[in-house]
Amino acid sequence: MKPTQVYLTGKNVLDAARERINFVFDNFENIHVSISGGKDSTVLAHLALIEARNRNRKIGLFFIDEEVVYQSTVDQIEYLMSLYPENTNRLWLQIPFHLTNATSFDESQLVCWEPGKHKQWMRSKGKGNILAAPWAKEDEVIHSSKGEGILGFYDVIENWERCYENTAFLIGLRGTESPNRWRTMVKNPVNIGGENVYWATRKGKNVSMYPIYDWNFHDIWKYIGDQALKYSKIYDNQFMKGMPINEMRVSSLIHEKSFKSLCDLPEFEPKTFEKLCSRIKGMSFAQETGKDAKMFKVRKLPKNFKSWIAYRDFLLETYADAEKKHRFVNRFAKQLVNEFVARQQCRQLVLNDYENNLPVDNKPDPREALIKYYMENI
Amino acid sequence: MIYLGIENLKKQGIIERYCLANNIIKVVILTPEKFAFKYDKTISETVYYPQIIEYKFFYRLLQEISQGTLIIINECLRTQNRHDLTYNCIRHYLTQTKHKIIFQYLPIIDTPQDFMTLFDFDTQSRWKREKFDIDLLQESEIVISKRDIAFNFIEITADDKLKSSYQAKKQKLFAEIGIKDPHTLPRNLYLIAGKAKLGHIDPSKQYLGRNNRFKIEAMHKYKQDDYPETPFTVFELPHNFIDYTDFLALSAQDEVDVLATDIKADQWYCKRYQEWKERLDETYTSLFNR
Repeated sequence: MKPTQVYLTGKNVLDAARERINFVFDNFENIHVSISGGKDSTVLAHLALIEARNRNRKIGLFFIDEEVVYQSTVDQIEYLMSLYPENTNRLWLQIPFHLTNATSFDESQLVCWEPGKHKQWMRSKGKGNILAAPWAKEDEVIHSSKGEGILGFYDVIENWERCYENTAFLIGLRGTESPNRWRTMVKNPVNIGGENVYWATRKGKNVSMYPIYDWNFHDIWKYIGDQALKYSKIYDNQFMKGMPINEMRVSSLIHEKSFKSLCDLPEFEPKTFEKLCSRIKGMSFAQETGKDAKMFKVRKLPKNFKSWIAYRDFLLETYADAEKKHRFVNRFAKQLVNEFVARQQCRQLVLNDYENNLPVDNKPDPREALIKYYMENI
Repeated sequence: MIYLGIENLKKQGIIERYCLANNIIKVVILTPEKFAFKYDKTISETVYYPQIIEYKFFYRLLQEISQGTLIIINECLRTQNRHDLTYNCIRHYLTQTKHKIIFQYLPIIDTPQDFMTLFDFDTQSRWKREKFDIDLLQESEIVISKRDIAFNFIEITADDKLKSSYQAKKQKLFAEIGIKDPHTLPRNLYLIAGKAKLGHIDPSKQYLGRNNRFKIEAMHKYKQDDYPETPFTVFELPHNFIDYTDFLALSAQDEVDVLATDIKADQWYCKRYQEWKERLDETYTSLFNR
């Protein structure tokens, strides 16, 4: 395994992260670590818990339970919560909110932990978890584009954070995952105790902090190996299926960016898949066609259509939900009319992305430039 | 070590000398079938290019390849995707032994970047993310037998009737392009130029074309497994450079006559291959100056 990354100053990223976590403990009384069951948040939670134990303090481990997650994720969260219970505040949130279901037009939103449907839940709520929203209904803030009064995943985070003041929310994002993530973390440094902290951003009355923002994936795995930490077995399954180590991730199972996880689910966790099929519509079909170029990948045009524009018009015309159709119509009216854009519009329609979570790259079709070149040169 | 431009007979001598000098127990030759050669001085196994990724070969070879194994990577530059699955499997094989010899007739398929695949093989992929860089090339030992590629264009004038049918076909193809791949446009239009070349066929010569739609007896095609030892005249150039580099590697005929009409698609292909030759020469220059 590669050694941990080292700065030109000789300091490695692990020591740098430990210093950052020390800094957080020095400057904040209240600390929450967001955990997802993935490898990055596992490492971050462990680093923070070790420091909490050294200082005989408590930190919150905050997990928003989407209900439709891998069993391995649930096991991993339970493992983290039980690592150092005397230093852990169990902030395992199991409240109803809406999740986009990209696989069904009939049931485009899943209300996880929906009241009155407890017999259909993937599993029972856990003892000691937070089972009701800890904020007042009248103070609830909703920004999501799901519809008026509909609480989404990011709304839950925002409302949760608004319950606190002067709290450090530690997040296990890493810059090497994408330039956008790196930009999110470092673009607005925060002044804390006279020090300009470039790995943090202010969020209302609190601060979001990213102590492992400079780690690479091999630093994460080395730490997990060195510390003999448990990790989600989904990673082992993905490794055995030949997935490159830097592409392996434990994600949500249903939304429009991650439903591809469904394709491997029957192999990795057959029981979870079985429960999911009876929990929400569209799962079996999405599992079969999630990687199909003509279906959910929207890479190949179905043979009955001569152009992406014609396919888009068909999808719009036959769109199942009249209420949401106007969103697509209005959005597409502002976009260019070409095959390149139309293919992306088809993808939004097939994935029922009325929330516009997969924005269309609205630009001239690159094929047009090539055709023009050939027109002039051959 | 990378050997460029070496013919099969010489390859055997190079392997034999290497085996003797390094106490090699077994030789594994990774090669496309049409470039395969026999080597029986040591225990050897030939694995054809499509088999490289097959589980039944991959896992067995990973167990069998040891520090006493020499891996020959023969004419394996088949795609420009440096992270292609077959290349990745070869990288895995190469982690089992330090002994490897890479043979490739030409250093590129299309651009100098292609050479970096060979460079990766020779350097345990230590610079897998780096681009073609003259300074970096010093990290690899490269033996070059430069191939002087040359095209002698034989100019042919198409008649007006053919030119007007070319224009009509062009308009039809562009009008009907729809969502089809735009690269089909030059491919299809180039075929029309063949009619103008028919009158210039010399029955005593061997020709090379994309297909034998004109039923010419002496016409050979690209993608053949071998070519007779005789000079070829190019009737048509292939669209994909790899088809031409394969022809060169199999025939070793570096200089060819090319029938070239004044039809625009034909001129476009001739210019494209001239530019390709310039890129090839620039790559050679960089390799010599490293």
